[in-house]
Amino acid sequence: MIDFLDFPMTREALLQIETGRSVRAGGTDLQDRRRLGLTSGPLVDLRDVPDLETIAVQAGVLQIGSRVRLASIAGDVAVAQQWPALATAAGELATPQIRNVATLGGNLLQSMRCWYFRRPGARCFQAGGNSCEARAGDHSQHACIDLGPCIAPHPSTMAVALLAYDAELELAGAASGEAWPIAALYGDGSDPARAHRLPPGNVLLTVKVPAPLANERSGFHRTSSRARGEWPIAEAVVRVVVTDGAIRFVRVAVGGVANVPLRLAAVEQRLLAQRPSEALLLDASSLAGEGTSSPPGAAHKLQILRATIHTALERALAPADPKDRP
Amino acid sequence: MAQTPSRRTVLRGTLGATGASLLGGCRTEAAHELGHGAASPEPAVGLVPIIVEVNAKAHSVEVGADTSALELVRQQLGLRGAKLACGHGACGACTMLVDGAPVAGCLLPATSLQGRKLTTIEGVAGAGGLHPVQRAFMAEDALQCGYCTPGFVVEASAFYTRWRAEHGAKKPERDEVAAALAGHLCRCGAYENILQAVQRACAGDYEREVAAPPRHEARDKVTGAAQYTVDVQLPEQLEVAVLRSPHAHARVKRVDWAPALAMPGVAGAVDLMSGATVIRYVGQEICAVAATDARTAAAALGRIVVDYEVLPAVIGMAAARAPGAVHVYPTMSARRKASNHSEGPLLPESWDGNVRGPFSMFSHHAPKLRRALRSLRAEPARGTLVEATYTTQSQCHSCLEPHACVAHWQGDSLVVYLSTQAVSQISEDIAERWNLKESQVRVLAQHVGGGFGSKVTLGMEVVAAVELTRLTGKPVRVVLDRREELAVGGSRPAHETSVTIAAATDGELLGISATSRADGGAAVGSTSTLLMRVMYADAPKDLADYDVLTHAPPSKPFRGPGGPPAFWALEQAVDEAATRLLADPIALRRRWDPNPARRLLYDWVEGLPAWKDRAKPQHDRGRLRRGVGVAVAGWMYFAQPSSRVQVDVGPQGFVVSTACQDIGNGTRTVLARTVGERLGVAPANVEVRIGDSKLVRGPVSGGSRTTASIVPAAIDAAEQARKYLIEQAASVLGVRGTPGHGGIKHAGGLLPWAQVLAAAPPASFVGERRRDRGGWFFPPIVGGLAVGKYIAGALHVFEVEVDTRLGVVRTLRSFHGVAAGRIVAPVLARSQVLGGVAQGISYALYEERRLDPRSGLLLTGGLEDYRIAGISDVGESEVHFVEGGFDNAGGGGVGLAELVTLAPAAAIGNAIFDATGFRPRDLPIRPERVLAGMVPA
Repeated sequence: MIDFLDFPMTREALLQIETGRSVRAGGTDLQDRRRLGLTSGPLVDLRDVPDLETIAVQAGVLQIGSRVRLASIAGDVAVAQQWPALATAAGELATPQIRNVATLGGNLLQSMRCWYFRRPGARCFQAGGNSCEARAGDHSQHACIDLGPCIAPHPSTMAVALLAYDAELELAGAASGEAWPIAALYGDGSDPARAHRLPPGNVLLTVKVPAPLANERSGFHRTSSRARGEWPIAEAVVRVVVTDGAIRFVRVAVGGVANVPLRLAAVEQRLLAQRPSEALLLDASSLAGEGTSSPPGAAHKLQILRATIHTALERALAPADPKDRP
Repeated sequence: MAQTPSRRTVLRGTLGATGASLLGGCRTEAAHELGHGAASPEPAVGLVPIIVEVNAKAHSVEVGADTSALELVRQQLGLRGAKLACGHGACGACTMLVDGAPVAGCLLPATSLQGRKLTTIEGVAGAGGLHPVQRAFMAEDALQCGYCTPGFVVEASAFYTRWRAEHGAKKPERDEVAAALAGHLCRCGAYENILQAVQRACAGDYEREVAAPPRHEARDKVTGAAQYTVDVQLPEQLEVAVLRSPHAHARVKRVDWAPALAMPGVAGAVDLMSGATVIRYVGQEICAVAATDARTAAAALGRIVVDYEVLPAVIGMAAARAPGAVHVYPTMSARRKASNHSEGPLLPESWDGNVRGPFSMFSHHAPKLRRALRSLRAEPARGTLVEATYTTQSQCHSCLEPHACVAHWQGDSLVVYLSTQAVSQISEDIAERWNLKESQVRVLAQHVGGGFGSKVTLGMEVVAAVELTRLTGKPVRVVLDRREELAVGGSRPAHETSVTIAAATDGELLGISATSRADGGAAVGSTSTLLMRVMYADAPKDLADYDVLTHAPPSKPFRGPGGPPAFWALEQAVDEAATRLLADPIALRRRWDPNPARRLLYDWVEGLPAWKDRAKPQHDRGRLRRGVGVAVAGWMYFAQPSSRVQVDVGPQGFVVSTACQDIGNGTRTVLARTVGERLGVAPANVEVRIGDSKLVRGPVSGGSRTTASIVPAAIDAAEQARKYLIEQAASVLGVRGTPGHGGIKHAGGLLPWAQVLAAAPPASFVGERRRDRGGWFFPPIVGGLAVGKYIAGALHVFEVEVDTRLGVVRTLRSFHGVAAGRIVAPVLARSQVLGGVAQGISYALYEERRLDPRSGLLLTGGLEDYRIAGISDVGESEVHFVEGGFDNAGGGGVGLAELVTLAPAAAIGNAIFDATGFRPRDLPIRPERVLAGMVPA
């Protein structure tokens, strides 16, 4: 065996590998960055580590191994029935070829997508530098909710969906045993050097998604200019429970619009305890981004974000019809 | 040098802004040792053994940590059907199956294949013959250049398996198929037929072998056997990396490549600036190195030291026109270096800073029109003035096969494999540039993965390859990666076009005035508003084209140069005039337009239900609004009379040959059909040889001229052969008859070809492309290109749906009428139309090259950011040909490839106006622009 590329065969062996190495799952993000010269050096490949590729429901809780392929999540019957927006999101992002290889862990831990970063010779925060080139340049595809020095739009669709589903992560390593709600993986957007905050030396093992609530409905909408195979201008995952005509529970999570996946508390607050109506949805969605600033070249995305949330809410609140899945 | 301007002198400027001398060579230097130098400072990276079953055969191989599955199959296993096009998982050209599931081979680490089953295009066909999907692709003509085809076929074969397992022989819905193929791009735009092919294959229509396909070489393309320049692999072949400027404007003071040459594996370097020192765009070539493999060559670039004096740059038209802007070409002699992005010659024009022009030669009664406009502006009630400014974006050619060249010496001869649209012409250019006899140069291009105008001239990939093979004595390959291709591979300039239509109170067209400014980067030659001369041709025209120079890569001619921006403005202005004049859009055009080809199309569209039964403008009031729009276009007819076609008859049968290339336009097909028809031989039984400069001279595949040039020459050669066969049958075999299907028909029956060819001595006939009956509009005195006397016409009807909440526009259905005379190969012509329409939709809604406004850095450096329409984006399309009316054209018909990509954008714009009352004036029609348009003023 060679030094440069390691294939640990057990979880324990995985944790013993030095922390400077890049971890490779499917490789759909890592190999692109290595090709561009953004990262290099020795690798640890998860190919032979057992027990990371299962989807199971235990005591009502969905457990997805970090190496489960996105296509498997999209096609899983239990996920489609009980956590439908998760299945939909997994089945619509990227392309079929990517979904057949890319893993859940890789999707959550992928690096930023910004045209100043994804190029040979990148010098920005994400590339180890100390500036954001997009701010003074063309940031028309970037964050419209400005949370920190880096204004790349966070690329993980699964993170948005898992945020809406209150998911938690199980880690192995120094942080094992700690509670890691998915939001903790991303923080508040103030750190511009990484796309996630997994502490070095730790490995993501499993994502746990609580049992769905009774009568919960969900909606997913992704807005892009081409119909498929494209990064979103904005995307939203929403969950609602309507009882006695009013919204008793709501989650609104959005992606493509900030440097972290976001739950929009103000939108959720506006919806709680209200009777659903066109006017309510419009009013609540319009709160997205309030109280924050937009980099000027991305301000146009706010309207599209609000329209996307509105559309996802409509989907969630539409009459229950098996054919009416998003 | 000939007295009349030759193509070479005319296009000298297109050799690039480096001002390459045609007589001297480039500065080169060889490494002292190759491959045996001291170990590099980096640690040796070992190889990993894997066992993988590829196409049902087990392989035990060693791969590197970063070796991709694509590299493994192409380089180690010799399976070159899967292609590299983008390298980052966006285009699907590298698709292969791992345990039956489609994956992007370019991203998949080869190490992950351990113990798995890999299927490539070469393994899709079963023992019993081609896969139903392959048969379907062939029969439905679901391909053009063929570069994306292996990826599509592999993906579709997996879909077929999944679909049939679940649904049996039920036909899938279009959108189901589109969803499965969402990870694939076809730059030629063959989507409509691809969808048909997959739907029908799943429905069981292709379970048995089919008759010969409409496209002559389709089988090679659907099996991955077709070889492109990027697939050429010669023994000891070296790979090249090009050092490119990171600055948009700079002076290069010093280049030190010695550290690169010292690297093990590096064989040599060549300077690509030829004595020039000024850089005028990010990506401009400085030098190139050749090494034993691509990674080493790329690493070598990092060792080259360049001293730049960075200078201020002007990016974008506004910066270039601002007072005090730095001049891209500050002196007269500098200006002569500007390359030419038109398809014709550059005429002298005046310059003012960064603005060149106006080019107004095609104006017609302009003073009269100016008087009419002055008086209308003074008294608006006396008529109607429709005025607006329209903008369009820079569009990259982005052929899926990038620019590529392999050059090597065979004894005294230079052999050059090249992805090119101009085999004959480039071989002459090479001979001239390197002072060789034409007989010493051979250019080969069996299959070309797209051109669209970007591969017409002798580019830097040829210079680097030829110089480095001369230096190293080994075959040398240069292939651009996707970022390079998007940066310098070619683009259509961005335009700002102001158009004014003046009409009298009774609706008579008083004239059309238009001015266009084109940002073609460091290149000049805009020919945009001048195209309006052939539209509504009786009316006065005041037309002016300007070039605005910027520090950006030089544009190159792009399918219908100047056309789409001009028609975007013109046909929306006409639509706006119809609204203001309360006239039906077709009735108004009929009134204004004398062109006979388009009049046939007006007749046709008036009977088209989608048009005649359309709802009233802005009838939808909810979130989703539908509308219908129409636009028309005209294009000149070009031909290259120096084209020759040869027909050989002999014991081996019938062979038709010409140097001409096939870039997906169907060269092989039209030759086989034309010759086959005249000799009574099935086209599949005519052997076709093309893409070799040793064959008789072929035309450039540009200006939509290929079919119009080679078909008459093929007819001529075939007629000669036919006469010969009749004579031989009579004199040698004593049979008097005429060629019919299968042989010579005579009173007593049929004398089979095999007998005639066995008895008659082999013979060759060279056919010429004579001038049209009635002559040319403009004879071929410049660059060998003749302008014919017809204007072909196209008419597009689009049905769109605008989501007024999200700003997204979808093209639902479209209908396309084409009047270009006789259609030689109807299936392929239809594919051409659909492809041009797909490119037009893509141009209208998605494509946009973006540069950083300060540094000029290319931002849209890959196919995720540079958005080409996908299979779900083009809607159902129908094509209708109106034949006839072009009888004096050789072959009775003219080219249509460019014609059909001119006006789809305008038709979409008109449809959006019809749907919403918002008229888009800027391309691409992005969602935020639509939303901004929805806000009531």
